[in-house]
Amino acid sequence: MSITLYNYVLSGNCYKVRLLAKLLDITYESVAIDFHPGQEHKSAPLLKLNPAGTLPILVADENIFTETQAMLVWLAQNHDTSGTWWPVNNSDQIANVVQWLGFSSRLSATIGELRLNSMLNKAIDVDAAKQGSQQSLRELESHLCEQRLKGLQWLTGNNPTVADIACFPYTALSPDAGIEHDEYPSIRSWLHELRSLDNFLTMPGIHELHELKSIDGKTP
Amino acid sequence: MSTEPIGLARDLAPKGVMRAQIGHTDIAIWRSTNGVVSAWENRCPHRGMRLSHGFVRGESLACAYHGWHYDCSGKCHYIPAHPELEPPSTIRPSIYSVVEQAGILWVNTIADADPVTLPKDLLSIRSITLACDLPTAIDSFSSAAQTEVSLFNGSVSVFSQQPSILSLSSPDGADGIFILFQQPYPHRVVAHVLANNLYQANDLIALSRWCESVRRAAEQNTQSSNAPASSL
Amino acid sequence: MSGYEHALKYWYPIAMANELAEGQTKHTQLLGNDIVLCGNNRGSADVRTAGKPLLVQSDYGHVWTTLSDDPHPLFSIPEASEHGRRFVPCGVVRVSCSPLRAVENFLDIAHFPFVHTGILGSEPHTEVYKYDVNIDETADEVFATNIKFFQPQASKSAEGGIETEYIYRVPAPMAAVLYKTCPPKPEYLDVIALFVQPLDEETCDVWPWMALYDDTSSMADLIQFQQLIFVQDRSILENQMPRRLPIDPGHEIPTKADLTSIAYRRWLKKRGAYYGAFEGI
Repeated sequence: MSITLYNYVLSGNCYKVRLLAKLLDITYESVAIDFHPGQEHKSAPLLKLNPAGTLPILVADENIFTETQAMLVWLAQNHDTSGTWWPVNNSDQIANVVQWLGFSSRLSATIGELRLNSMLNKAIDVDAAKQGSQQSLRELESHLCEQRLKGLQWLTGNNPTVADIACFPYTALSPDAGIEHDEYPSIRSWLHELRSLDNFLTMPGIHELHELKSIDGKTP
Repeated sequence: MSTEPIGLARDLAPKGVMRAQIGHTDIAIWRSTNGVVSAWENRCPHRGMRLSHGFVRGESLACAYHGWHYDCSGKCHYIPAHPELEPPSTIRPSIYSVVEQAGILWVNTIADADPVTLPKDLLSIRSITLACDLPTAIDSFSSAAQTEVSLFNGSVSVFSQQPSILSLSSPDGADGIFILFQQPYPHRVVAHVLANNLYQANDLIALSRWCESVRRAAEQNTQSSNAPASSL
Repeated sequence: MSGYEHALKYWYPIAMANELAEGQTKHTQLLGNDIVLCGNNRGSADVRTAGKPLLVQSDYGHVWTTLSDDPHPLFSIPEASEHGRRFVPCGVVRVSCSPLRAVENFLDIAHFPFVHTGILGSEPHTEVYKYDVNIDETADEVFATNIKFFQPQASKSAEGGIETEYIYRVPAPMAAVLYKTCPPKPEYLDVIALFVQPLDEETCDVWPWMALYDDTSSMADLIQFQQLIFVQDRSILENQMPRRLPIDPGHEIPTKADLTSIAYRRWLKKRGAYYGAFEGI
C-alpha cells in the first residue's frame, strides 16, 4: 500500500493528515510543496493532480484525495485496527462524526483564513473572518461544555475520532490569528486532552506538552 | 477592587494553566500536579513571556520560552541553561492571593482574597463570556430569568453587589442558580454559572443553552444601542 | 535624534527579488509609512512613499529600500557571492512584536530545547556553555563566537544529533546573520540571516534568507525547514510583554546565557536605536 502526502508544513489541513497518520502509526511519503512563497500548489504539475489548487493532496493506492475529511476517513478506515476513530459500527456516533467533520470546514474557512491573513498577509475580509471565527469557537465551546455536563470528553463520545482530529488544528492555532483561548474553558480542556494522546505530533504554533516528559537529574 | 471570581475550579485541572485579567492586571493561574493553585503576574521576569503559556511539571510552573521553573511560592529554582546554578531568590513574578471556594477561583491582586460565601455542593455549569458592559450583562440575565419558567420560578435577587452575584430561584423556590460576574476588561464580561444539585442532567444542558440565548440578547442590545443613528 | 530618525538611515527588505511581475503593484509599510512597490523589468521594483520615489537596491535575494536620501550602506554578507552555495529566500512571516524582539530571539540559543524541541534542541541538553561576545569597533557590529549547542536535527541536511557551532553577527539593528556548522561540509559554515522589515514599532515582517551547502534537499524542503523554525518562534514573540524591547537593565533579568542579548541591547542604546524599544517606566 503506498501513500503520498503533498504537504506544507504550516498548513493546518495538511497537519490533520500528519497527525492522524502519526497517532495510527501509518508510514507515508511526504512531498514538500512550496505553498509560500512559491505558490507551487497553483503550478501546472500540482493543478494536474488537484485542479482546485489546494493542499493537502493525498495519493493513496488508486485514489487521489483533495478533501482533508476524506483523507482522514480513508486513513482510519484502512489503518485503525481499533475501529474507534471512524466508528462504522455505531450509527449514532458516526453520524455525529460526519456532523463535526462538516463543522471543521467552517473552522478552516474562518480561523484558517484569518491566520493566513495575520501570518502571511493574505488579503481577506478580516472583519467577517473575525466574526466567523468567534461564532465557530463559541459553538464548539458550547458543544464541548454540554459534552462535559454529560461526562464525555470528546466531540462525539468517550473516545476521539477523526472529527476531533479535523476540528483540532485550527482551533488550537487560533492564537496565530490573534484569537486567544481565554474565553473558551471547555475548548482548553479538550485541546489539552488531545495534546496528551500517546504519539501526539506537534506543528509550529502547537508546542509540545513538556510536562509529560520526565527528565533526568536536575528536574524537580 | 474586590476579590474577583475569575473562573470555575473545574476548568483548572491539575497541570492546567489559564489566564485572567482584572483591571489592567494580566494574571496567570495554574494548578500543580498535587492540586495547589497559584495566581501570578502573567510575565516571566526573564524575557517577559506570558507565563499562562507555560507548562506545569510536578509542583512547578515552567516558562514556555526558556523553561525557567518556578515553585508554588513563585521562587525561580531551576534555569535549564545553567543547570548547576542556584537562581537568586529575587527572581520571582508578583504573586496574587487566590482562594478556591464553592467551585470558584477567587483572586485579589492587592489584598488577601476574601470570597463571598456561597452554598456548598453547587454544580459548575459553565463560564460564558459576553461582549457587553457589566450592567447590560446583569440586566440581561436578570430579565431573562424572570420569564424563563421551566428552569426558574421568576424570582431573582442580588446576592452580592461587589462582586456582582445574582441568585435565581428554582421552580421549588430554593436558591437554584448563582451567576457570578467578572469584567476582565471594558466591554467584556464573564458570567460563571452554578446550579444547586437538584437540577437533573437534562436541565444542565438546558441551562447552558439558556445562557447562550441570554448572551445573544445582551449582545444584540449592545449592538443596537451602539449603532450609528443613520442605521436606526 | 529620535529612535525614528535613527531608523530612517537604514535599508530594509520589502519584497523578494522577482516577487513582482512588471507593472504589478504591492502595498506595504515601513516605519509607519505607507509604501507602494511597482515591479519593473529588472526583477526589482520602483518604490514610492506619498508619491516620492525612494532609493532601491537588490541584494541577498530581496528588494531593499530606505526612507533616507543619504542612508548607511547596506551591510555586507561576503558568503552571498560564494560559488557553490544555494541561496534560499524563505518568504515573509508577519509577527505582532517589536522588530527588535524578533532580532533578539534569533540571537538566543537557550530557548531551543523548549521552543524547537527535537530539532534545534532537546532536554536534557539545555546547558548553554560559556561563549564570547564582542563589539567589532571597526565594523560597529555585535559578534558572538564559540557557541556550541547539541542539536537533534541542526538542519535539513543533518542526519542525527550533532554538537553544532554557532557564530552570530548583528550588522544592523534590524538584521542578524548566523553562521552554523554545515553537516554535509564540516569545513564550511551555513549562513542563515534574518532580515526584519519594521512595519511599525510593534509589528514586523520577517524575511529569513539562507546561503547553504546542500545539494540534495529540495528547495521546498529547505524553505519549509526554516519556516517551521521561525513560526515556532512566532507564538513566543507575540506573547512577550511589553511588546517593545526593554533596553534599559532592570525590566528583565538576564543570565550569562544571554550575553548576546545583553550586548545587543547595549549596542542599540549606545547608537540611539530606540525604534521598537520600550522606554516606559
